[in-house]
Amino acid sequence: MTPLAARNPAVKLLLVVAVSVATLALLDPATLAALYLLGLAAARWGAGVGGRRLLLAQVPFWTFGVGVLLVNAASRPGAVLVAGGPFRVTHEGLVVGAALALRGCVIGVATVAFLASTPPRDLMVSLVRHARLSPRYAYALLAGHRMLAGLPRQWATIRAAQLVRAPLGRDGRPREGWRGWARSAFALLVASIRASERVALALESRGLAAGPRTVWRPVPFGAADAVLAGGVLGVLALVLAAGA
Amino acid sequence: MPADAGAVLDVAGLEAVLDGGAGVGPVDLRLAPGEQVLVLGPSGAGKSTLLRCLHGAVPHAVPARVRGRVAVAGRDVAEHGVAALADVVGVLAQDPETGVCLADVADEVAFPLENLGTPPAAIGPAVGAALAATGAAHLAGRRTDALSGGELQRVGLAAAVVTRPRLLLLDEPTSMLDADGVAAVRAALAAARQATGAACVLVEHRLDALAGDAGVAGLPGRWVVLSADGRVTHDGPAAEVARAAGPELLARGCWLPEDVELAVTLGGAPGDGGQHDRVLALADAVSRGPAPRTAPAPPGEVLLAARGLAVGRGRRRGRRGPAPEPVLRDVDLELRAGEVVALVGANGAGKSTLLACLAGLLAPLAGAVDGPRAGLVVQNPEHQLAGRTVRAEVATGLPPGPATDERVAASLTRFGLTPLADRDPHRLSGGEQRRLSLAAMLVHDRPVLLADEPTFGLDRHGTAAVLGALADEARAGRAVLLTCHDLRAVASAADRVLVAAGGRLVAEVDPLALLRAPGLLAAARLRPSLLLRRLAAAVPDAARLRAALAALDARALGGATGPVGRAAEPVA
Repeated sequence: MTPLAARNPAVKLLLVVAVSVATLALLDPATLAALYLLGLAAARWGAGVGGRRLLLAQVPFWTFGVGVLLVNAASRPGAVLVAGGPFRVTHEGLVVGAALALRGCVIGVATVAFLASTPPRDLMVSLVRHARLSPRYAYALLAGHRMLAGLPRQWATIRAAQLVRAPLGRDGRPREGWRGWARSAFALLVASIRASERVALALESRGLAAGPRTVWRPVPFGAADAVLAGGVLGVLALVLAAGA
Repeated sequence: MPADAGAVLDVAGLEAVLDGGAGVGPVDLRLAPGEQVLVLGPSGAGKSTLLRCLHGAVPHAVPARVRGRVAVAGRDVAEHGVAALADVVGVLAQDPETGVCLADVADEVAFPLENLGTPPAAIGPAVGAALAATGAAHLAGRRTDALSGGELQRVGLAAAVVTRPRLLLLDEPTSMLDADGVAAVRAALAAARQATGAACVLVEHRLDALAGDAGVAGLPGRWVVLSADGRVTHDGPAAEVARAAGPELLARGCWLPEDVELAVTLGGAPGDGGQHDRVLALADAVSRGPAPRTAPAPPGEVLLAARGLAVGRGRRRGRRGPAPEPVLRDVDLELRAGEVVALVGANGAGKSTLLACLAGLLAPLAGAVDGPRAGLVVQNPEHQLAGRTVRAEVATGLPPGPATDERVAASLTRFGLTPLADRDPHRLSGGEQRRLSLAAMLVHDRPVLLADEPTFGLDRHGTAAVLGALADEARAGRAVLLTCHDLRAVASAADRVLVAAGGRLVAEVDPLALLRAPGLLAAARLRPSLLLRRLAAAVPDAARLRAALAALDARALGGATGPVGRAAEPVA
């Protein structure tokens, strides 16, 4: 088990929120870059995310970041660094753009580290026990999560079933326009609603209610979690102080 | 303890009408502790609705108008919700996938105990005991998304009995399983009923499969029969009710245990010593008669051929990634005009995947399919629905115009769907949806028809209608390939059987040869019933086997008028 996987999910979630809120107050690219590097290290060695997977998980945030950087650099007023045609890149624009882009990356990598180290079941048990989430919502979410995993397969089955009567395209394969997609989506919706009604009844007939309940295999919550929280908040404070 | 105070279940004057108009009642029913009851009735009689009334799902979760009183262990169901009865009622429903809610088997079984506030230290042993009682001890620690239907149902049953309920409600618990799953769940049910001592109400429409070779003795000892309009017509000991209501139930399309069916159709009492002789006499009668008209005709032309086919789901990862592992490989098969071919094999043997590939919906991993575009009827009719009305559904994929309107009208008439033409397809019963999906496919007039488990979940009339329609298609010069778990349906409809096992087609035989080959049956996880085994030993060829089954069908479905002693019917 990786170091982060052994820690309490509610504490980890709280720390992700704390880091995210802290970044909202920052507009200094250097401080944010330091936080990003620390976040990458936490995901790689704390949550045990493999190098390749970690890299792939960053792509959406980088893509978003590049967009934010370009828009800000070219649209903010300030000292002009480069001008060409209708475009002019300003110093202020670059700095603010880089800060906003890095902010997204920090929140992103913190979330990746959190999700990679937290099984859904542990998160819900912990949120019910330590954050007073209603068990009705928590277990409905867990059952929904289980159903979600089966959706791609069901979609493939429904698509194939619907294509049997579709007209053939020029390449000899069945072809349907957006109407076909809409029909398949409707069939999937009907199937999902029926399934979720049955799951809801199964949960209720097993006694799931808002009342008090016990937990067979609770998620631990102890001194190590306090150490983790203290450590993360301390480092955060140090970085913020160094950047100020 | 006086009987009144001790009743586990007390139902008085219960009547329930669902929003759609379907309903059940009036019902009066009292169960003593540990008493076992089987509820029977034709499709649409409200058996499941009754069961749902007993633990409050109707009307607390499913809106309905309910009159009368239901009390479980002295608690009024109307005042308590479903969850508030969870300590005294355990429920197992028919769909394995949605009967299990969590990702881990042990968590799933512990869940009801946690909800009741059981001290954590007591939960572990209780979970272990419940899993052991349902033959699922080896599944503890597994993830639920990797389990088969039969395994999921046993986990669901463990979760239903882990609280040691006083009443167990079983709603068609084996109806969605293959023969292996039915056998496993049958044993688990017997063990769980014995271990918990709970009273039990069971609803099941494939009683022939659930009872197995034990016949009536393998089922609850008290039977309650509902009429088509939801009233209780019989209530008493199994043997008595079977004798009194058997003919009517058979004629209405119920799947009764084989010994009851034979007693009704051939005479005698369920399971008496003379039954074997009467089956032999039937086999003898069809064997001495002239060869049935459907005796093997000269093989027609090959309409669809597959050569060296390998099929599997999933895509190659990236351009240089490894190809997905085929679930079936080296498949060579030919479908000829005028014949019905059955494809049998265990769950997961690749039957549906092969059909999708033959229909051109899935590219083969190797080899080729040669032939015109085939029609395909998928297992769940709802997956194929595309129209807002029954009429529009049949017209889907056809060019609009008067010619189409005519064909659609003819197809609706052929399948008895004309009175439903303006209804919403999603609101039809299972049997009606199946007939609709066949009508909507056959109207396309494709030379080859593929059907995936077309008789699944149907009552006896529905099954006969579907198999009859497939036979008609073959007679009209088409080639038909169906997958089927029901050996009786295979034996009464197929000219030829393909057996899939271990990733290949391992045999191509006629139904009689399949029934006589224990190795093939085991490879395909098929378990022929006592009747099929006896007939297979007594008849000389597959055509006579079919004739004997057709004779039984004719007597059963026309059984209300007492046709016992009629000569064997010619096929078709």
